[in-house]
Formats: sequence, C-alpha cells, structure tokens
Amino acid sequence: MATIMRMPELAANTPEATLVAWLVQEGAEVQAGDPVATVETAKATVDVEAEVSGTVLRLTAEEGDDVTVGRPIIVIGSKGETVDESRLSDSPEPQGASLQSAGAVHAPDVDTALDTKADTKADTKSPVERTDDDLAPDSAPGLSPVPSATREASDTVGARIFASPLARKMARDAGLELTQLTGTGPNGRIRRRDVEAALSSVATSSAESAQVVAADGQPGPSGEAAVVRTAVPTGWTDIPNSKLRKAIATRLTESKQTAPHFYLRGTANVDPLLELRARLNTESGTRVSVNDLIVKAVAKAHQAVPLMNVTWGSEAIRQYEHVDIAIAVATERGLVTPVVRNAETLSLTALAEATRDFARRARDGALRPDELDGGSISVSNLGMFETEEFAAIINPPQAAILAVGAAKHRPVVIDGELAIARTLKVTLSVDHRPVDGATAAEWMREFLGLLERPLRLVV
Amino acid sequence: MPTHRKLKQSAPWVEISASERDWQRADPALLGTMYTQLVLIRVFEEFVLDLASKSLIHGPAHSSIGQEGGAVGSGLALRTTDTVNGSHRGHHQFLAKTLGYVAPEGLDPTVDFSGEVKSLALKTLAEICGLDRGFSHGRGGSMHLQWKEAGAIGTNAIVGGGVPLAAGSAFAHRFANTGDVAVTYFGDGATNIGSTLETLNLAAAWDLPLCFFVENNLYAVSTNVSEVTAEPRLSARGPGFGIPSWKVDGMDPLAVYLAMSEAADLMRSGGGPTFVEVDVYRYFHQNGPFPGSAFRYRTKDEEAEWRARDPIQRTARWLVERGLFSPEELEETTSRAKALLEEVGSVLLEQDPDAKPGVLRIRPDEWPDPGWVDVGVRGDLSEFGDAKLLDRADFTGETQEAKFIDVVAGVMERRMSEDDSIVIMGEDIHRLGGGTNGATKGLKELFPDRVLGTPISENAFSGLAGGIALDGRLKPVVEFMYADFMWVAADQLFNQIAKARHMFGGDDDVPLVLRSKVAMGTGYGSQHSMDPAGVFATSAGWRIVAPSTPFDYVGLMNSALRCNDPVLVLEHVDLYSSEGEAPIDDFDYCLPVGKAAVRREGKDVTIITYLAMTPHVLDAVTETQIDADVIDLRWLDRASIDWETLEASIRKTNNVLIAEQGALGTSYGGWLADEIQRRFFDWLDQPVQRVTGGIASPSISKVLERAAIARSDEVVAALRKMVD
Repeated sequence: MATIMRMPELAANTPEATLVAWLVQEGAEVQAGDPVATVETAKATVDVEAEVSGTVLRLTAEEGDDVTVGRPIIVIGSKGETVDESRLSDSPEPQGASLQSAGAVHAPDVDTALDTKADTKADTKSPVERTDDDLAPDSAPGLSPVPSATREASDTVGARIFASPLARKMARDAGLELTQLTGTGPNGRIRRRDVEAALSSVATSSAESAQVVAADGQPGPSGEAAVVRTAVPTGWTDIPNSKLRKAIATRLTESKQTAPHFYLRGTANVDPLLELRARLNTESGTRVSVNDLIVKAVAKAHQAVPLMNVTWGSEAIRQYEHVDIAIAVATERGLVTPVVRNAETLSLTALAEATRDFARRARDGALRPDELDGGSISVSNLGMFETEEFAAIINPPQAAILAVGAAKHRPVVIDGELAIARTLKVTLSVDHRPVDGATAAEWMREFLGLLERPLRLVV
Repeated sequence: MPTHRKLKQSAPWVEISASERDWQRADPALLGTMYTQLVLIRVFEEFVLDLASKSLIHGPAHSSIGQEGGAVGSGLALRTTDTVNGSHRGHHQFLAKTLGYVAPEGLDPTVDFSGEVKSLALKTLAEICGLDRGFSHGRGGSMHLQWKEAGAIGTNAIVGGGVPLAAGSAFAHRFANTGDVAVTYFGDGATNIGSTLETLNLAAAWDLPLCFFVENNLYAVSTNVSEVTAEPRLSARGPGFGIPSWKVDGMDPLAVYLAMSEAADLMRSGGGPTFVEVDVYRYFHQNGPFPGSAFRYRTKDEEAEWRARDPIQRTARWLVERGLFSPEELEETTSRAKALLEEVGSVLLEQDPDAKPGVLRIRPDEWPDPGWVDVGVRGDLSEFGDAKLLDRADFTGETQEAKFIDVVAGVMERRMSEDDSIVIMGEDIHRLGGGTNGATKGLKELFPDRVLGTPISENAFSGLAGGIALDGRLKPVVEFMYADFMWVAADQLFNQIAKARHMFGGDDDVPLVLRSKVAMGTGYGSQHSMDPAGVFATSAGWRIVAPSTPFDYVGLMNSALRCNDPVLVLEHVDLYSSEGEAPIDDFDYCLPVGKAAVRREGKDVTIITYLAMTPHVLDAVTETQIDADVIDLRWLDRASIDWETLEASIRKTNNVLIAEQGALGTSYGGWLADEIQRRFFDWLDQPVQRVTGGIASPSISKVLERAAIARSDEVVAALRKMVD
C-alpha cells in the first residue's frame, strides 16, 4: 500500500507551513531520505525527505500553498499503484495523540465542565488557566467565570492575536494589521484605545512626511485616513511579509512589551584578544573569528555567573546546566538565531566550526527547527558593519542579548597614561524579571575580564 | 369510651340512571338529535383514526370512540352561550358543543347534513390535520380545539390544565349574571392532579357555575383508576369540597342528559359548582387504531362487555322500539355521515402523485405558511391606539413626592373606579390594610365584589385569572405575594396563559396582569427571594415591566392594564418604602410599550439595569466617578426591549454592563448579553459584562443574604474592572 506523507510539525505550535517548492515530480523514483519538498515555516526553511523508497504517485499540494500540519502532501508507492482517495481526506492524522504524549496539553485548572478542547486544538501549547481578568472565583458574586487561554511568552508565534471586536473593525477600516498594534487590555487584548494610539502615531509621522513631500512640490496626503488607505500606490512597493518577517515582528514586539529591558554597557581593550586570534589562526591552522572568541567568553561568563544562565517563566525561573547560546545571523530573508548547544564544553575550534556551519546553512535557509529553539542568551555582532555600539532586543524567553560593536583603535588610559588601543564596546540587554542589575553587572565584569585576559578562553 | 356521631357532607352525592319510562317519554326530537350527534361523532372519529393509520395526521389522535354518550348527553343539556373545555381526548366534546351551536334546533337523523355542519366537520378535521383551514390554522391540532363563538373555549394537552381556565370562564358568567355555566371535561387521570383539586376548592369557595365533568374511562393510558386512588368512584371527590355530585352510566346518553340537566339547573340558579362522573369506555388504546387489549393492560372480554353497552346501539334500539325511525333509516344516517366525511376529506386530501394509486397526501395548498410560525405570539398593541401615551418629559400634570407603595394602590383605585371590568385577586389582598404590603389598600372597601382574597392555590387562581382573560369580559389582576410562587403556578403561567394566544391561532387576547413582588433583602430566605424576570423572559407570550420610580409605576401599570397580552408587573419590596416624584391627580397616562429610560448620560460605559437595581447602579456611578450611561429598561421582555436606546448608547460607549440583583441561575441578563453581542459585535470593546447575585438563592441569615444579592458595591467592583 502506498505511503502518504503528511506535512510535518516542524516546530511546536506551528499549525501550518508553506510548501515552497517541490523537488520531485509525480512519477519520479525516490529513495528513502531523498529530499522531496522544501517547506517554510516562520522559523526555518526545511527540506522534507522521503520516508520510503518508491514512485511519487501524487503531489497533493501546490507550490506556495499553506498546508495544515498533518494534511497529506505526497503519496509514494509502487509504480502504477492507485491511490485510495479516502485516505487523502483532509483529516489530519492523530496529531492530538502525539501532542498528548509530548505533554504539550496542559491539564486545565478550571471547572471540569468547561470544554477545553477548542482551546487546546487552536493553540496546543497554551495552558488553559484562570486569570484574574476573566475569571472570578465561584464565591464572588456578579461575574460569570469564563475560560481564557493565556499565552506563554515562548508560544506566541502564529497564535491568535486577541483584539476586541471594535478594535478589529477599527483596524480593518483603517487598514492596520493587528500585528502592528500593541494590546493593553486583559491578556494583551487590543482595544479601542490601542488602535486610536496607533492611528494618532501614524497620523503624526505621516504629517511629518507629508511636509517633506509637500516641500518637494508634490501633493501630499492630508489627514490620517488618507495616510492609512491611500488608494493609488505610487512611489513605493509593498513587499509582502514573509513568515519569517512576521515571526520577527511578533516575537520582538512581544519581547519589548512584556520583558522589561535594562542595559549595561562595557568597553574592553581587545588588543590581547586580537593577538591571540592571530596566533591561533596562524599556528593552529583553524579559522577562529572574533565572534567565536566572544561567544566562548559568554559561555565562560555564564559558567561563572550561573544566575544569568536562565529563562523567565511565569511560575519559575529556569536555570540551565549547560550554556546554550543563540547566534544572530543576518540573511537575505531576515534574522535567524541558531543555538550553539553546550557552548561551555566546546573547544574554540569546535565552536568556530559549529558557528560557521550555522551561518552557511542559515544563509541557505537549511537550518532545522530544533536548531532554532532554546538558549538563555543571544549574541548579536554588528562589528563587521563598523557599528560602534548598539542595544539589541531580547529574544524571548531568553534572559539577555549581547550587542557587540566594532573593535576600533581608540584613545585609552593605561596606568595613568593616554595610549591607543583597540577597544570593543558591548551592550548587554537584560530581562529584569529573572535577572537583577547586580547579577548582570557581575557578569559584565567577568565577561570583560575574559576579553582582556583571553588566555582563559583557550584553556 | 369515646362517643361517635356520624357526620354527613353538606353536599349531596347521588347516582342517577334513566328508567325505561324516561326513554319512553323523552322528547323524540331530543333523541333524534342525540342519535345523529352520536353517529356523526363516531364516524368522524373513525375517519380520523383511518387518517392517523395512514400517517396523514401528525402527532397523536386520541380517539373518543365508545365515550360519545357522555359528551352528547351532557352537551344537549347546555345552551349555546354556555362554555366548555376539555382535555387531549376532546374531539367528541368539541363536536357535541359546536354541533349544538350550528344546529340549535337539533339534527334529524333522516335529513342531509347542513352546510354549517359540513363546514364544522371540515374546519375540525383540518385543524386536527394541522392545516390552515382549521380553527387555529393548524397550530392547535387534535388537542387544542377551540371555537370560542360556539362556546368551545379550547381543549388542553396538559392533564388537568384546562380546569382552572374553565373556572375563569365560569367566573365571567357569574359576574355577568347571564345564568350561563361552564363545563370542564376531563378524564379519570386528571382527578388526582393539583390543578383539578385546587380548582374544585376554589370554585366551591366562590360559588362558580362550573361543572366538573369527569369521563371515567377507567384507564389513564394503561393505568387502571383503582391502582391510583382508594376511591375509584371519582364523584366522591365532590362532596369533600362541598360540591353536589352525580354518578351516572355514561353509556346511557339519556341518563347523562338527565344528570347534566339537573346539574345545570342547580348552577344556573346560583347553586355553585357541580361534579358529574360518567362511566364510559374508550374502545381503543390511548391513541391510534388498536384496542387497549392489544397492549395487554385489559382483556378482550372486558372490551366486549363494554361494547355490548354501546351508546349508539342503545339509542337506536329505543328509536326503533318507539317507532320513531326504522332500522333502515338509522342505517342511512351512518351512510350520510360517512359520505360527509368523505366529502370533507376530499377537500383536504388528494392522491399522492409520487405514490401508488390510493395513497393520499395533504393537498399542498392546505398547509399553513411556514413564515407564519411566530406570528401572533403577542398582540399587535393596537389597543394603545387611543391611549394617553407620554413619558416624564411630556408630563404636564402636578407632581409631588410620594411613597411608592401609595402610588401602587392609588393607580389601581383610579383604574378600578373608571373600569368596572377590572377584578383583582391574591392571597390576603382584601385584608390587612391592602395585603401584606399595603399594595391594595382601600380597594376592598371601594370595590367589594372585585377584590378577592384567594385560597393558597396559586395554580388555580392564576389559571382562573387566565380563563377570565381569555373570556374577555373582565380584566383580571393577580398578585403573587412572593415571586417564587410562580413555580407553583408554572403550568398555568407558562403552558396556558403564555401560549394561549399563539397556540389557538394568534387572535385570542389574554389581557391579564400579574403583580409579582420581589422580596430579596427581606430575610425571607431561599424560597421567597427570587427575581422572576429571567424565567418569564424565556416565555414568549409574556410582557414584563419593572418600574423603579413611582412615576413610572403609574404609567407602566396603566400600560399593563391596557395591554391585551399577559403582563408581569415586577414590584420590589425595597422600592415600596422609597419616595419619589409621583403625580398628584393624573393617574391616567400610559408609558409607551418598549421605551427604556436613560437615568444618566455618560460616554464610557453603558449600564443596563432595572427595578430596584437602578438606584444601586446610580450610587455606584457616583462613587466611582465613571462616566456611564445608565439605562433603566422598564420593559424587559424580548419583544419590548428598547433597542434604539441601547444601540445609541453602545455605539457611543462600546462597553456594556448588565446589572441585576438576583441569583445567577435564574438571572435575566444572559439572553440580553447574547443578543447584544450578536447585534453590536463590532461596536464592543470588551465582552458584555454582568453583575448578578450569587449562585445560590439568598439565605435567611442577614449577612449571607447580603452576600447573595448584588447591590451598589458589586456594581462598583465591576465598573472599576471594566475601565481598568
């Protein structure tokens, strides 16, 4: 009997994926393990491999289709075999069972009478729980208990955006995407005031640009309505948002809304570090980048200050035994952050090898979803662009992100004397919920010390 | 050793039978009519059973075959202006009464049936088949046959449910002094249900000309009467209530006629109610074309014994023996009746084009229009055409501060003095200075015949009032001392009064006012503290008003009394002692149906409330300084909601709070919240929020009672949460 392959769940809480391209045609012979399709999710682009060897009997999705996880995409069997159409019906395979076994469905802490199926189906990782906003205890008269699905920080990608009916209508009328809006109501619900705030800020910025345009002698739009639904688009191109773009937008917006950031700045004299790197590259024959050394220093600093090696959860701060570090990689499609596992255990060369592989595959869109999950800190380095310093937004639920600028010759004071040295400026953004200022400062001192006395990075 | 003195009931109990002399001397015309009616009804019922067996009748067909003697014998003793109602098994009684109306001079067995008789048969059959041509356009069907003009005020599918309604009809007869009587037909099964027993007592207490006519056919479906009562001679019930009672063989139509004549004479002469028990037998099972023996609860022998005493054969025998008609002539009567039914049937039925020859279907044109399904649930309010309709802003009369409770009695006094048709009833309303709260103060002295203290029998006196309202000559006002008593009267309130207009075709006015006190907060506990608005709002026939000020009470009571629908007037005991602006001498204005009052205007939240919660809401708004629209609904039923006012407010504020006091389960606001979110979804900036009381009914303990009831504190909390 033919084998029906279904759209895999490439990452938790990813209800659908886009079938970007077919790598085989109907009638083609494939071996188990051959890539048959390229599939894109919010997090990554992945090749789906044939589960069995045989003839491709049927492709059941078009390139460009958004396919629900669990729906059939390809049928592989013996040549000439007929396909049982009933097996191609839309019903996804027992997806619930695997989710259950993975422990993804949280036991709802609500009256047993409440039907939680709808919630778990729509958002399988969202625990259904009582919140102060929507659920009064039974003993309190007046307000009817209602269930509400709350989202955990790590589970928001692709999840429903809560907005009041009025806010949805206002946003629709104004041509605003809900993803552009910040909700201030219960559960982050977007309410009228949030749309109004967005409209007034659009109106302000557009008023400014209108003035600029008017100065060029061209008629500019006047009034907010004209700004947000201009009928004739001239002078610009709308680039449709990819899943990755939307994911970045949602995730980082949420980070800035929910994670209270604080920032620590530090400067390190990196002359010794750069000398070490030069020696390593010439003497060991491996290629180690400045960034590899920085990542290694982060790993060591995390070992020294384990209170930084955490992620935030509403009930508990999770502290990790190993140091997993996400490395920001800019690609044409946008920012991705593969995670180096157990960075503290890797030798510099192994670390360098791993990050190089990540960077290459990130640019090829070939990272696996599991390579994008986890980590307690990210490293973002814009030094190669000559950026002196910058502050980055934390990648939730991580606790921190280190923004690294360019190493430059700068005047420094050494032993009371003015001198010239190459210095590097870093900014650490920290989530204040799991980490306090003193802890972060201790980490910063440790980290800067590692950069300035880099031998510890190789022993 | 104690001594015993034998006591006798004050009311007589007799068995009556017709002697041979009675049959020999009976008026030939009476016997001819009797025979013709018996035959026509039997043939009609056989035709109905035939249709039922062919699935041409939707629902049950409760055949009266075998029981015709009781209906025909009693019907012949009635005037056309007398009224009857009956039970689910009521074709024969309906036909007997209406044949008496269309053929008041009687029916000759040898003469063709008149056009009026054909028309009656056609309309009756059409109704039983659920067709537009029927008396109620097919809404009533077999179990709800009504032709008020002929004195058939409506059969009933609730066992015993029609009995209190017939008492209302009898009340109207007595009040009008016409000498007319009402007869309520029911079966042995209905003698043990509360509405019948309560009404026996009430009718006797009030000397109503009502005949309790039980057709004892021995079986309530399959249960023998001797299994369910220790006194299977059911007429024994009558003397227990002080009601003169007759027991008679119902298989002898002349005996029934004689018994009913005696009972009617007594009732017409002011002797109060009567009880007539006729022993009859239905040849078939509860419904359908099979005999009861087929279901093994009785024997074929028993059925054969009863069939041997068939009322038609008995009458025919006497007609022949007295030489009035030949056997052939009497056979002809049956043939003519069958031809009549065939003719009537052919109007309604035709060959089914999709089936083999001989298979019939209802002619498509005969069905009622499905679009008519909800038409006539309530009246069209045309009775307000000449009403003095105004709201506070238009009121030009003088006003003063007055106590709410005084206005309650004041407006009723004004209406009763100008409208002789108003009668009011309730427990203790005629004593104690106007009932337990003074709401009827002074009325008994002014209108002694129209202010009636009732026995503690909510089902009976509610139903009696419903019967008065359906009669139409009088306008009943009922007081419930506590709202929770509605459950006791639930059948009459919700199955009868609320459904009557729609069920009988949409034209029957039901002008009844129910004043129901809401007493939460008085410490009367779990069974006396409900707000009934939510429950009444589920019942489509009722209109509901909830006055929160003395001025509104006057206008809303006047509107309630003018309205031709049943209207529940909610009166909150907390408000009775409050003072407010009230008219000094103009007690004659009506508030428009379906118009809410905006008690305060604001822009941030719409608070919808009613009755005694209104002042609590206003207090909460003052305390929180939240800029809210406060809408006092005044009219609460689904048909009378002021959507215009609600919509304007919701479009402005985008936030809705429905505030009420009572327990969550029976609360009012759920349906309204549902309706609001569907009508105004895109205008809502948060879910429709609600304030209600607790889950349980309020307790006696003062602190627990307070905790169970929502007042201003609960509104304050809800408001703060909403604007957070």
